[in-house]
Amino acid sequence: MSKELVTKSVEELAPLLKNREISSLELTQAVMDHAEKLDKEINAFIMMTRGRAEKAARVADEEIKAGYYRGMYHGIPMAVKDNLYFKGEVTTMGSKINQNFIPHYEATVIQKLRHAGVIFTGKLSMHEYAAGVTNNNPHCGPCHNPWNTKMVPGGSSGGSGAAVAADMTVASLGTDTAGSVRIPASACGIVGLKPTYGRVSKYGCFPLSWSLDHIGPMTKTVKDAAGLLEIMEGYDPLDSTSLNVPTTGNYIERLTGDIEGLVIGVNEDYFFHHIDKEVETFVRKALQMLEDRGAKVEVVSIPSLQYAEYAELVTIISEAATIHHRNLTKRADDYGDDVRLFFELGELPSAVDFLEAQQLRRQIKKDFEQAFEKVDVIIAPTLPILPPEIGANKTTLNGKEVDVLDEMIRLTGPSNLTGLPSLSIPCGVAKDNLPVGMQVIGPALREDLVLNVGYAYELTNPMEGKRPNLLTEVE
Amino acid sequence: MMQWTVQELLEKKGIHVKEEHIPILEQRWEQMRQVRRKMRKGPFNDYDISLRNIPGGDHIE
Repeated sequence: MSKELVTKSVEELAPLLKNREISSLELTQAVMDHAEKLDKEINAFIMMTRGRAEKAARVADEEIKAGYYRGMYHGIPMAVKDNLYFKGEVTTMGSKINQNFIPHYEATVIQKLRHAGVIFTGKLSMHEYAAGVTNNNPHCGPCHNPWNTKMVPGGSSGGSGAAVAADMTVASLGTDTAGSVRIPASACGIVGLKPTYGRVSKYGCFPLSWSLDHIGPMTKTVKDAAGLLEIMEGYDPLDSTSLNVPTTGNYIERLTGDIEGLVIGVNEDYFFHHIDKEVETFVRKALQMLEDRGAKVEVVSIPSLQYAEYAELVTIISEAATIHHRNLTKRADDYGDDVRLFFELGELPSAVDFLEAQQLRRQIKKDFEQAFEKVDVIIAPTLPILPPEIGANKTTLNGKEVDVLDEMIRLTGPSNLTGLPSLSIPCGVAKDNLPVGMQVIGPALREDLVLNVGYAYELTNPMEGKRPNLLTEVE
Repeated sequence: MMQWTVQELLEKKGIHVKEEHIPILEQRWEQMRQVRRKMRKGPFNDYDISLRNIPGGDHIE
């Protein structure tokens, strides 16, 4: 029974917990036993908090028994990325510098999840300070992709992606500054949602780049992501960038799967230019499946996207270097080499460079807004390449050598610049047993729409029940 | 006109750069400068900036 339990999604587990067919303690122990066993190969956890988790699970069971059921996530064990603050608990950001950092307050999202009855089981591995896409972390070791353990799980929320894919947590949270929720979601064959900028409070999340940072759900199914967003969203006066708009909520109720008449935009010049052939084949097949369900596909032009990579890079490195400037002058040797280089590069752009990047950003936003006057959503591959080998800075794309970092953020970065909601959903398994993800980008505050398009696609069973080999071996 | 090297620029800010990082930083910075040159020739329809990142445009209050 415990082996079956760990494979289930939140939507499957919630009724079992609510009807007391299983206990939260039983579920938490099963998931944590499984995680302990697999972590020797995956290395997704920075720390497990079994004692606290079991105690919280017992409380959840008592509450449910007393008829106080809080909702879908009550009693669900979850581990989260280690850059979200837990009051009084070590939060490392995957770094040496902050290896003993204990926040004196809790992140708003953690508070909200705690109130919803989530059982926290531990802190997950990440690229150091979220400043990279491989999760090849020199301080806590590389995290491995459960589908192919020689390959990276993506990053920076690679521990979250790997742990969800390997059933080491039922669901998770990641943070996304240039794609760090969607990149590991794609690489690990799970669902990842970057909500609209400001939709979810960032209070208590260690920043990488303030104006680009987002927190988002990473889950086994679209419905699980919708349920998590319902809990996480909402205005927070503690976060100056939090949007004071009515929460739409009810994301689950609005998952109808009906996309009849939906107009899907495809931007060939940027999102389908220089893409791995296998990745492209999977995403175009997915578009066809959505057309078969009643959607229409139209080509859209977003001319300023040609400058998106530059604007993203200048913005992210400048803001990150500002955050890390003091440590860079005093403790540079305590950073991993790649992260140190990234922050050093951020010391070079001038104020004019930074402000020009913000001008570009505004232009890109306007171009997206114009595109959304013609189409409902835009669909693109999440990654232009398949996940590369652990330790590789370069990889090949259709026979040409390319930079791993540049490529992995190329298609996800525009949604950070614009703040638009974007969902990555798995759409198949390519060579070397590596998953492929597809992005659904929507207009601002239309998470309901991107989730429903993702749900409609999920109903076509694109993964055909495929699971990471590692899990089949364990079973 | 005096030209600063990447290493000099960083050391002026009190940042010590590893010897082996210098060519990587120089190459990366040069790539960015090339894009910048191209970008500055391109048309801007809007010279305003978005220091505040408000999704969906500034109409949301």
